[in-house]
Amino acid sequence: MSQPDAAPAGVIHDIGYRGYQGDRLGRSGIRFALFTHSLRGVFGLGRSGRSKVIPFGLVGVMLLPAVIIAAIVIIGGGVGPVSTPAYAQYAGQLTAATWIFVAVQAPQAVSLDMRFGTLPLYMSRPLTRGDYVVAKIAALTGGVFLLIATPILILYLGAVFAELPLGENSAAAGWAILGAVLYSAMFSGIGLLIASLTSRRGFGIAAIITVLALSYVIVSSMQGAIGHGMGEERLAGWLGLFSPNTLLDGVQVWAFDAGSSSVLPVPDGAGPVFLLVTLLVIGGSYAALAARYRKVRL
Amino acid sequence: MPYGRCVPVIEIDNLTKQFPGVTALDRLTVEVGTGVTGLVGANGAGKSTLIKILLGLSGATSGDARVLGMDAATEGPTIRQRVGYMPEHDCLPGDMSATEFVVHMARMSGLPPNAARERTADTLRHVGLYEERYRPIGGYSTGMKQRVKLAQGLVHDPELVFLDEPTNGLDPVGRDDMLDLIRRIHTEFGISVLVASHLLGELERICDNVVVIDAGVLLRASSVAEFTRASEQLAVEVTADWDEVADGLVQAGLGIEQEGHLIVVNVADDITYDIVRDTVADMNVGIVRIEPRRHRIAEVFAGGEADVAA
Amino acid sequence: MATLEVSACSRWFGNVVAVNDVTMTIGPGITGLLGPNGAGKSTLIHMLGGFLPPSTGTVTLDGEQVWKNHNVYRTIGLVPEREATYDFLTGWQFALASAELHGLDNPGEAASRALETVAMQDAAHRKIRDYSKGMKQRVKMASALVHEPAVLLLDEPFNGMDPRQRLHLIDLLRKMGANGRTVLFSSHILEEVEQLANRIDVLIAGRYAASGDFRTIRRLMTDRPHRYVVRSDDNRALASVLISDGSTAGVRLGDGVLHIDASEFLRFAEVLPRVAREAGIRLYEVSPADESLESVFSYLVEK
Repeated sequence: MSQPDAAPAGVIHDIGYRGYQGDRLGRSGIRFALFTHSLRGVFGLGRSGRSKVIPFGLVGVMLLPAVIIAAIVIIGGGVGPVSTPAYAQYAGQLTAATWIFVAVQAPQAVSLDMRFGTLPLYMSRPLTRGDYVVAKIAALTGGVFLLIATPILILYLGAVFAELPLGENSAAAGWAILGAVLYSAMFSGIGLLIASLTSRRGFGIAAIITVLALSYVIVSSMQGAIGHGMGEERLAGWLGLFSPNTLLDGVQVWAFDAGSSSVLPVPDGAGPVFLLVTLLVIGGSYAALAARYRKVRL
Repeated sequence: MPYGRCVPVIEIDNLTKQFPGVTALDRLTVEVGTGVTGLVGANGAGKSTLIKILLGLSGATSGDARVLGMDAATEGPTIRQRVGYMPEHDCLPGDMSATEFVVHMARMSGLPPNAARERTADTLRHVGLYEERYRPIGGYSTGMKQRVKLAQGLVHDPELVFLDEPTNGLDPVGRDDMLDLIRRIHTEFGISVLVASHLLGELERICDNVVVIDAGVLLRASSVAEFTRASEQLAVEVTADWDEVADGLVQAGLGIEQEGHLIVVNVADDITYDIVRDTVADMNVGIVRIEPRRHRIAEVFAGGEADVAA
Repeated sequence: MATLEVSACSRWFGNVVAVNDVTMTIGPGITGLLGPNGAGKSTLIHMLGGFLPPSTGTVTLDGEQVWKNHNVYRTIGLVPEREATYDFLTGWQFALASAELHGLDNPGEAASRALETVAMQDAAHRKIRDYSKGMKQRVKMASALVHEPAVLLLDEPFNGMDPRQRLHLIDLLRKMGANGRTVLFSSHILEEVEQLANRIDVLIAGRYAASGDFRTIRRLMTDRPHRYVVRSDDNRALASVLISDGSTAGVRLGDGVLHIDASEFLRFAEVLPRVAREAGIRLYEVSPADESLESVFSYLVEK
């Protein structure tokens, strides 16, 4: 029974410091959180608006041709010279967009932490140096993979809707996705390694573009000159080992029987070598990256 | 040699760390209890090396270190879960806001997303950051940046925090605020603090205990009360007629010395106080100060050349 | 006798007025320059050293303008706050370079003398990049001392120094002040300023807020009661005899102590021992709670 004129009540709540007795994630949970944070950063999410422009612009550049091709295939009703879109070559043909993406986002992922000196704050947490490197590699590789695989998926969906031969297309698209894994692993590895060598983002961007683009231009020109010009096609074919693009292209051509996006095809028997070198470059860049971070000071 | 409370928060036993050409730590043995403990070093290399070892990020050449009961050499990640660190140098990204950054750091300490958000909001309030927490850190003043640095060290509710020169770059008012905040970390938040600082006056003000390391070796570890115990002397300051007052005291049988504007009187017994009072009153002079002289931490460093190698 | 005179001096950078209509004199001895962050201390020091011209007004040394005056540069040494970036040089090379730039007759000797003054002679052959912060500070000082200037300007010189190095520098500056050199240093660590400086100059938001001996400055703040903490053998009785005198504005009994607000500084100081004696109360401790440079400073800033 409430009294009509009870005395007014008052309470002061304690909003002082509260301890935390809840869950704490272990290293794997933290590593995953850093992975998601970095992956979002690769696409410019979670930081200033300006940093979204390039990633999303490049996503647009990568997707647009795929959308157009898919539309053409669907509208064309499956009639025409194309029975399977060139899944595996897509990455090679639009490689400039991928170069720029990696060149800009690799420094974003690692140079900022170095420039601002944030690494000691990470290191003073349960995360180890190895965890940090793994998370960053996974994030950039994942981002580049999404960039390359999504258009392949779009092409595939287009082919499915256009009722192109399902078996051939599924196989080709599947192999292309595998190729996308190799592309993303290699570009990310090289990009992150170069970016981790400098805390200045601009230097990192320039250096990565130089390594990726210039190597391709030089190798392609030499292949053109030596291969077509001098007729030494076999020798020129081997030059493909020296740029990431031609290297990956060579692997795809040999392993998945895909069409080539390079100036020259792989010489006979060179396929396994190309694959081996690819894996070595990927593994080597990851190992070098891990070694680089072992030396960082608190 | 333990002092202060019974529960050691850090136990260091014969810890040695050698680099080519330099011995940063030399058979250091000391215990740190709960409360606020100051760490003074007369050698830059020793302090950061010690913190790295305690965080389990670097191995010692020999000896043991235990933090919160855990072995620093083998249980590093677990230690780092329960310890916070506020570095000396700049470490904040200019393009993130304080909120975004501290939430991210909370996640990096293992807090689930919701807990990270809530604790960030609370912690930023406790360190005194209000609306500015939504603006990018690049535009913050030094004082605000120091608070963000502190917040990221506290957000995961550690049992112990290492603060490395927390008042660096702060002007006197900011310094005051930071010192009060550090004291509260222990008294209100219940978190033990290890403060590394060169500023002995500040340590005297906020610490319960102080550890002094010189060239990698323990010089002295005591409570602040012990470091600043009263000496048998009184500092007297008068408004005028300094010489006459001094003579009067001497004639009344007291031993005195001059120190700038102060008359330092040796206290023989309680009557000394009355003699001072009466002498001053007789001469119609004003008394500004009668203060028991205390020892200072700085006395530990008196004598000895400045360490050239560091 | 080296005396720096600043006259109606202002310095702006676009719309930011770093130094605003300042007139001051800095003579021989040690002067401490205080002010909150951004108050214009660094700018003022750089103008005094001839590194920046004033936007209006004049900065002179013994009557001669400082800016772009090579004669004057010979008599001034400046130790800036920013880190020197010549990490690839050794301490010795850095000091030597400074000596050579000053056109000294015997640069090697001057350099080694300067390095000895700052106790860096043994470490001089290591690269600056390997130095700790305190060592870098000392090497900067050495390079500012090679030409034995009569005027030494130091911007936050104690930054990063450990207690031993600090004591050493305090000693060094004291000797220089005692030798008749004009030394000006800025610092946030008021305790050191108290120990070292003969007088202080306070800059707040570019304006010249106060100068002199800080105790004297405190006495000038008559609108603020002086606060004391007193311990006696009968605090309550003491409180009642004090409050009956006009110089006491308020008393408050605390935890074994008596907190007193004195509205008239001098009179209270004279009244206290007198009434205590008359009432037979023993004074164990009389502590001015806000006589320190810290409280003087925070008062000036609040204004």
